[in-house]
Amino acid sequence: MKQADIKQAAEALFNEQRNPFGAFSLGSETHHAVTIPDAVRRCRWIAVDINAAAFGLFFVSPSLERARLVPSFDSDYPGTSVATKFIAGANGEEMVRHTRDSTAPRWWADDGIASSQQIYQDLAWSERTTPLAPGTNGIAFPVHADRGQCGLVVFMGSEIALAQETLYEIHARCFSLFAAVARIRPSEAGRTRSISKRELECLKLTANGNTSEEIAKLLKLSVHTANQYLTQSTQKLNAVNRNQAVAKALRLGLIE
Amino acid sequence: MSSPAALLQSEPSRLASRGDLTSFFMQLAAEIGADSYMLVAIVHDQDRNDARIVSSNWIFDAIELIGKRLIAALAQGPLTAAPGNRPRPLVAAQAPDAASLLNGEEARLLDVLGHAEIYSLRLNVGRQRLFALFSAAEVDSIDLPALMRAQLKCCYALSGIPQLIAAAAMQDPLSDRERECLFWVSEGKTTDEVALILGVSSNTVNSYITHAIQKFAASNRAMAIATAIRSGII
Repeated sequence: MKQADIKQAAEALFNEQRNPFGAFSLGSETHHAVTIPDAVRRCRWIAVDINAAAFGLFFVSPSLERARLVPSFDSDYPGTSVATKFIAGANGEEMVRHTRDSTAPRWWADDGIASSQQIYQDLAWSERTTPLAPGTNGIAFPVHADRGQCGLVVFMGSEIALAQETLYEIHARCFSLFAAVARIRPSEAGRTRSISKRELECLKLTANGNTSEEIAKLLKLSVHTANQYLTQSTQKLNAVNRNQAVAKALRLGLIE
Repeated sequence: MSSPAALLQSEPSRLASRGDLTSFFMQLAAEIGADSYMLVAIVHDQDRNDARIVSSNWIFDAIELIGKRLIAALAQGPLTAAPGNRPRPLVAAQAPDAASLLNGEEARLLDVLGHAEIYSLRLNVGRQRLFALFSAAEVDSIDLPALMRAQLKCCYALSGIPQLIAAAAMQDPLSDRERECLFWVSEGKTTDEVALILGVSSNTVNSYITHAIQKFAASNRAMAIATAIRSGII
């Protein structure tokens, strides 16, 4: 299928002549993607705008021990494309390291046609990387959300068209998309809502290095009560001890 | 590449030095119609945030007068835009505004010092987070689409100089082993469990963690973990 056909099909599919998420018209306040299908649609529009045939969004796992890209969705949604399986496998390791340290886009051209490199070579700030999926061309944008989540938005296709000006805009839209997806994902958010204000206060003071005795003094409680608040919040966060409770609360954005 | 003229001619693909950083930002500010820029790292210190200025063309007195505390509040305020979000300006003349970042005195000061409108942008450099303040003496002189492009350009440029950024923000001073230990402790593991996981003795684990606590000037494990998570190290 020709790119022009894909574009036409996409426009017909969404029954829109104009990309509602295009350019810099979007404010994140008004375009929260509330579900994965919404996010897939937004991503498809980005792909259409740069003539990409396929896309995928990945999370970079926060632990240093697991250098893997965790797929969230791709252009075959609700299925999973073959390329995604490659990227989620060992091929992604180098990109995981890159995403943790840098925000610069990385591209690859592995379809054996010399001219496909030309599109990317003129782009400033972006570098070549080993192909994420063999035999493909593509570009990967590292993205980061409010609570420190890392991710990668990948576009693939042999007819991708990207000018320098568009690169910034596309990457900005990927950031905004990822922020929306990252807001959907925390599955533990519902369970932790029941943590009381007092318990959070105690957790926050613990994160700031205060002992139970100090917390008791600061909040005018007995040491026993302060400890009880901490024990309760630890249980509610499904943590095994205070250290993990503090870590979980920070990662979930319950405390700053 | 280090001269502004060279930067004008082509998009550089890499910054090499602090001088490059300055001319990069000067050029960028000119492109978007801003008079001043400031690149800020936020450092958590106990319960408050401190601003560490990495690069800036604000006059020294202005920084002294306004104070690091207010700069930290401006950089990390409610108007700060993440990449991809539409930035909103802080207009000194409208203070005290809805966001109530400024009191009347501070607003007047900013206005007089040539920061009538200030945009605050969040910059993501890998997991590191910095903030750029672009300001102009006249309201409405900053071009919004150009500003949004500039935001990504800053992220790219700073990604090329991780050592400089880390040094400026004084972040990630931990060794790999110290960071690894801290990570496992944050997952709720005890010293003995971490020793088992890493295949070293408990004493070694304790010593790694003690070093990490000292490097962060933290008072205990929980605080060291909190500091490490806040700065994106674990």
